[in-house]
Amino acid sequence: MSAQLDDPGTGEESTTTESVAVSDAELAAIFESEAMGYLDQLYGKALQMTRNPADAEDLVQETYTKAFAAFRSFEQGTNLRAWLFRILRNTYINSYRKAQRQPHSTSADELSDTQLLEVESRNPSGSRSAEIEALERIGDPQIIEAMNTLPEDFRTAVYLADVEGFSYKEIAEIMDTPVGTVMSRVHRGRKSLRSLLADYARAGNGFEGAGPSSDEALGGGI
Amino acid sequence: MSCGKPHATPCTEVVASISAYIDGEVTAEQYQVITVHLSECPPCVHEEQAHRAVKGLVVRAFSRTKAPATLHARVRATFRSIDEQ
Repeated sequence: MSAQLDDPGTGEESTTTESVAVSDAELAAIFESEAMGYLDQLYGKALQMTRNPADAEDLVQETYTKAFAAFRSFEQGTNLRAWLFRILRNTYINSYRKAQRQPHSTSADELSDTQLLEVESRNPSGSRSAEIEALERIGDPQIIEAMNTLPEDFRTAVYLADVEGFSYKEIAEIMDTPVGTVMSRVHRGRKSLRSLLADYARAGNGFEGAGPSSDEALGGGI
Repeated sequence: MSCGKPHATPCTEVVASISAYIDGEVTAEQYQVITVHLSECPPCVHEEQAHRAVKGLVVRAFSRTKAPATLHARVRATFRSIDEQ
């Protein structure tokens, strides 16, 4: 299986001369000191994707194995954390996701705007502060469940922005997509979450009303 | 969604950029435009607050994950064995 391990950075030419001087042992030491610190973060994302601790551990291990094997081609000084997340996601998509039964495998591009807007427009206008108060009472398991119902492209964009604090540019590198697409996925992902969570809140608290969103002009920002 | 008052920038444009705004992903100029709009449009403030709330919930729900200690050892062992090959 050849995962897409191509360096998200550019200059594959420029690294060659430098890396020749570095021995395998030195490279291993550099990798260990720089990359191992991201293990908890990668495991968190792996767990969110696989939803299973054993699979998440295997996925992280496979990610490190591939990253280590490809580390000589990694351009030192560029974004190692983003590079590792990119390998993690590609590994997941290329192996785990295909192997697993995936009830929510819809691609972001397959979920139409109409579907998203339908979800939103079901909610009548209610008290606005009440909506936010109700949102904040929702428990973590329901947040995680709502995230899991989003298409992978949306879920990953939201996760990387919010949990990992990656910039849109970094997320674009990780997901191999334009920055504008990242912006759209984060925004639409949050909108979908809001609607889903409003449904949970309503079911649990007799809560009425996620505010109406009329911004159908996706990507039509300022 | 509108507060019924005229704005220099339409609410739809502000709301479409609200995620980028709260993520610090707008230009200084866009930031200024949106901030001014929010200062005069309660419905858009509500949109901003709701998106911030959702972001906060995602952070809260996923930020506590820690890898098992055994995984650290397992990963180190893996790439050391590769290195020796």
